[in-house]
Amino acid sequence: MQLKRVVITGVGAVSGLGTDVPSLIEGIEQGKSAVRYMEGWNQYNGLRCLVGAPAELKNEKAIPRRSRRSMGRMSIFAVQAVQQALVDADIPREMLPSGRLGCIIGSTMGSAQSLNEAFETLLPEKDLTQLKSMKFFQCVSHSAAMNVAHYLGIAGYVMATSAACASSLQALGTGYDLIRLGAQDVVICGGAEELHPMVTGSFDVLFATSSHYNHSPHQTPRPFDDKRDGLVCGEGSGILILEEYERALQREAKIYAEIVGYNTCGNGIHVSQSYMEAMISCIKEALNNAAVEPHDIDYINAHATATIQGDKEEAGAIREIFGNSVPVSSLKGYIGHALGASGAIELIIALMMMKKGRLYPTLNLKNVGAECNGIFHVTKPLKRDINILVKNCFAFGGINAALVCKKVNNT
Amino acid sequence: MTKQEIITKVNEVFEESFEIEKEKLQPQMNIFEDLGLDSLDIVDLVVALQEKFGIKIRDDERIRAIRSLGDIYQFTMTMQNKAK
Repeated sequence: MQLKRVVITGVGAVSGLGTDVPSLIEGIEQGKSAVRYMEGWNQYNGLRCLVGAPAELKNEKAIPRRSRRSMGRMSIFAVQAVQQALVDADIPREMLPSGRLGCIIGSTMGSAQSLNEAFETLLPEKDLTQLKSMKFFQCVSHSAAMNVAHYLGIAGYVMATSAACASSLQALGTGYDLIRLGAQDVVICGGAEELHPMVTGSFDVLFATSSHYNHSPHQTPRPFDDKRDGLVCGEGSGILILEEYERALQREAKIYAEIVGYNTCGNGIHVSQSYMEAMISCIKEALNNAAVEPHDIDYINAHATATIQGDKEEAGAIREIFGNSVPVSSLKGYIGHALGASGAIELIIALMMMKKGRLYPTLNLKNVGAECNGIFHVTKPLKRDINILVKNCFAFGGINAALVCKKVNNT
Repeated sequence: MTKQEIITKVNEVFEESFEIEKEKLQPQMNIFEDLGLDSLDIVDLVVALQEKFGIKIRDDERIRAIRSLGDIYQFTMTMQNKAK
């Protein structure tokens, strides 16, 4: 069976740097950081990290109440990013209920704010009588995918990949497989996530968050830097429209890139520790899947969240496969770590780098940590053609994912 | 609580919970056909009325018979009087 080719024909994003892709890219080109001191977080006893990269929730009432009532903050971000991506890809509305268009949106969990509200209602008196009907729909792990599909009337595959920080890259990989196999013609793929002290707190108890920059938030996170001290949570949604290549060609769609390889795998060793060997295996398998060699890669968009161990292991994996010949940068310094949404948002930014022939540097990387050395760190904007790029995502739970994208030259 | 106070509070629930414009909140309005509520909204209507009036109506069978906004005014007044 001849596998079909898969291309990306539309993008949309809501992030700490703005409610659309142009504002996100403009912010990055200006070297802006979305990281802020989070007012009110200091009331949480034991929470060390008091910074985050919030996105702005606006124009949510453009979504009618009957559809919006089942959406938490993250689902609204997802709907807004999807709407942008559909316009960008010029997908006609008639396609949505055709059964040939799917929707795969991943996240770590459902709306953190709604989960918190549900517990606050339920637990003090162990009383269910004040629980509203929509809390369930806002809290479930497939909340973003379900809400987008319901709002837009999508009748094809609807799925939610839930693998923490690898969620949206798994969504893209799954959409890629569905189209390759001929099961869908178009798939809306990506992720959504919500910033909340409960979410930051879950990393904070594991000593994985940044805690030394609460009063200088723009200086953190610091991926690969010798003064990095942990991750900073962000939020938002990143959505990409995946489409079967011949169909995209036929309708003369704008093509950002072709997805040529993907892999996801567990490390099978530890739930929170990153392992270089598992990362190496994941990236190598994605390259094999794409039928490319390490020297074919022009840019690597790293996962690098600025944790001490994670960055060390990822730098080691990149060093092992690529040496110091392929430029690498992490985008977490600009928008924090949007967890389940990070893979998709960062891939969109990487595709813009590909389109513009420019590499965006790792923000806050001043002095490369000794254990992160030996790879080609991008520390200032560079003009560079990207023909093939690799996007990494390495999640808590020991789940890794890597995606390979190639420029399509005949458009 | 006077009848007018009850009407005002019930109307607040419809404005706050269901984003319905004040002008539409007339007693003869059918809450499903005219105001656009559905069965899921009724769950939230009950929760909101309980909170607003400090009453327990979740398992009250009479809720099933409610059709108009006027029915809700009447039902809430009955519950208020019962609570006295």
